[in-house]
Amino acid sequence: MASVIGKRLRKSIGENWKQYVLTVVSVAAFVAAWQIYSAYLHDNNVGYKGYIPYPLDVAKAFYTSFTTHDPNTGLTMTDHVAASLERMVYGFALSLAVAVPLGLLMGTFRTANAAGRPVVEIIRPIPPLAWIPIFIVVLGSFWGPIGIVFLGIFFPVLLNVIFGVRSVDPILIDAARTLGAGRGRLFMKVVLPFTLPYLMTGIKVGLGIGWMCIVAAEMVGNYGGGVGWFIKDMAERGDFNFMYAGMVMIGLLGILTTGVASLFEGRLSKWMGMK
Amino acid sequence: MPSSIVRTGGMPTDKKVIYAIAIVAIVVTASAAVLYVLANQNREPEQKYPVYFTTLSVSTMKGSLAAGGIDGFIAWEPFGSEAIDEDVGVALEWSSEIMPNHPCCVVAASTDYLSKDLGGGLKGSDITLRFVKAHVETTKWMVDALAHKDGANYTLLVNLGMQFTSKSQAIVTSALSHLKYGYQMDDAFMDGITNFTEMFINGGVISTEKLALGGYSSVTDFVNKYANQTFLNAQSTVQPSDSMLNPSDPVRIGFLKADIHELAQWVAQNKTAGGGAKSFFEKYGVNVANASSTGGYSSGPEEMDKFAAGEVDIGYLGCAPAIQKHLNAQVHTVMVAQANSEGSAIIVKAGAGITSIDDLQNKTIAVPSTGSIQYVLLKAAVEDAGLQLKLKT
Repeated sequence: MASVIGKRLRKSIGENWKQYVLTVVSVAAFVAAWQIYSAYLHDNNVGYKGYIPYPLDVAKAFYTSFTTHDPNTGLTMTDHVAASLERMVYGFALSLAVAVPLGLLMGTFRTANAAGRPVVEIIRPIPPLAWIPIFIVVLGSFWGPIGIVFLGIFFPVLLNVIFGVRSVDPILIDAARTLGAGRGRLFMKVVLPFTLPYLMTGIKVGLGIGWMCIVAAEMVGNYGGGVGWFIKDMAERGDFNFMYAGMVMIGLLGILTTGVASLFEGRLSKWMGMK
Repeated sequence: MPSSIVRTGGMPTDKKVIYAIAIVAIVVTASAAVLYVLANQNREPEQKYPVYFTTLSVSTMKGSLAAGGIDGFIAWEPFGSEAIDEDVGVALEWSSEIMPNHPCCVVAASTDYLSKDLGGGLKGSDITLRFVKAHVETTKWMVDALAHKDGANYTLLVNLGMQFTSKSQAIVTSALSHLKYGYQMDDAFMDGITNFTEMFINGGVISTEKLALGGYSSVTDFVNKYANQTFLNAQSTVQPSDSMLNPSDPVRIGFLKADIHELAQWVAQNKTAGGGAKSFFEKYGVNVANASSTGGYSSGPEEMDKFAAGEVDIGYLGCAPAIQKHLNAQVHTVMVAQANSEGSAIIVKAGAGITSIDDLQNKTIAVPSTGSIQYVLLKAAVEDAGLQLKLKT
């Protein structure tokens, strides 16, 4: 197994070394620009110099946030990540459970689409964050932030599923019909497999929005910490090294979840015979 | 044979779809279950249960208490008195009982403003001295008004309090009785500031490296420098001025929205309180303008951000954020006078049977932020009762 991975890695580096070099250069350039800006503020004793700490101090804080229990909360970064992930998992699962069947329904049946579309179109442009003050009270401190994540993921998934169902090649449908497929078989064998890649796109977009939502929702009074809460708390204390550490954490979590979704998408489409 | 979407050989596609959905469902359910178990591990029974805290904006605390989202809160006046007046909550402990004479709000100046050249040989520090003089005279007027509750000045003070906070007479009267206005940075004040700073350092909220980074050799050195007595010492010689000294360059003052602790700046802008023709600020030639365009800031940490952004010249705010953000983020500020001491309360849900700190076990109390004086007070009260304060999970 290990040798297979090693072989693949070597092959991948061999083929894509230019990309890897560019990735390293681009990240290094970003950190260097940050370092220069921070040094400029500190050298000139600008009033907000403490708000733009040096990259190295942020890296140290990032490490410390995992190894040390915060004296005020008794929590480490791991606890905050777990709290945010819990909200994310609930919001994500609920979103899929509602958006996928609804999307299939609205994509397949004209009546369902005509009935559902107006409400979807009215609510969709409203930023999920606008619901925070309502959700925190009506749904409570636990389900409130989950509700925000739900909304964030719901619409990209729903719209992509509808779009996926709509864009099934009519030739495929005709062919299946000619071969004697009924409505049920047509749906299971043609429509659903065709929609899966669109669903995965919706999920990837939704996950990105979901992380934005969770940070904002956690910043408004809620229970249980979370990375968003951590960021706000550190900003209020003026401990900006740690605040940036929290931001880095959210970035990493976003990359990780989208990466997992991509991996899953690749596997799924291969297995379903898409690629 | 060209690959087709419908048939790829092996397992039929419809079965694959069912398997795919089943796998997703199992993965999601399993992760939720694992997280649930992990989260509940922290909730093992102990001999003494901790008291939990959560953070909420002060203006939403009363509503959250009424809705049952929290069991209590600790806030500055008049928000405690308001919850009591509306029968939502009862006072469990006033901060005078938790930490008698604890300093609360202070007047802080931006050190960039102090050294600012205002033209005509005038510097920001000259205006600050006059500002402090007006603050001292106003505070004396307020203390005197509070001492004579049958006098016209008391009525005016209550009216100004109602104007500033938009709360009823009953609420303002109650709030005024639970705090002490003062301007001096005397021994009790210095001890209180030292105490708070040591709590922050011992609690790990401020590291000793940050103290050194600010150029302070010890907590005592920090307190002596940060509580700058220069202006209070010099203000007695300041004489009234016939004209505004900074007509085109007003002092941009910061304060927290409806925080009755910081009423002095409101009174100092009132002509009647100043004697009829001029307000206290005008009397000493100081032109002021509100730094906030939305009628005040919502928290001390936010006001410190505005100091850092260069949008506030002189501000009223809690000493906790003034200490924390100055040390942690090197915001260019210095304390030039006291504004008040005491004046916070732990409010618990009315009729919930909570009569002691011990009853707060397993209950959730909201604080404005972990960088606030109210958080420090709650922590002190809870730890004095032999309990632990933990973030609600």
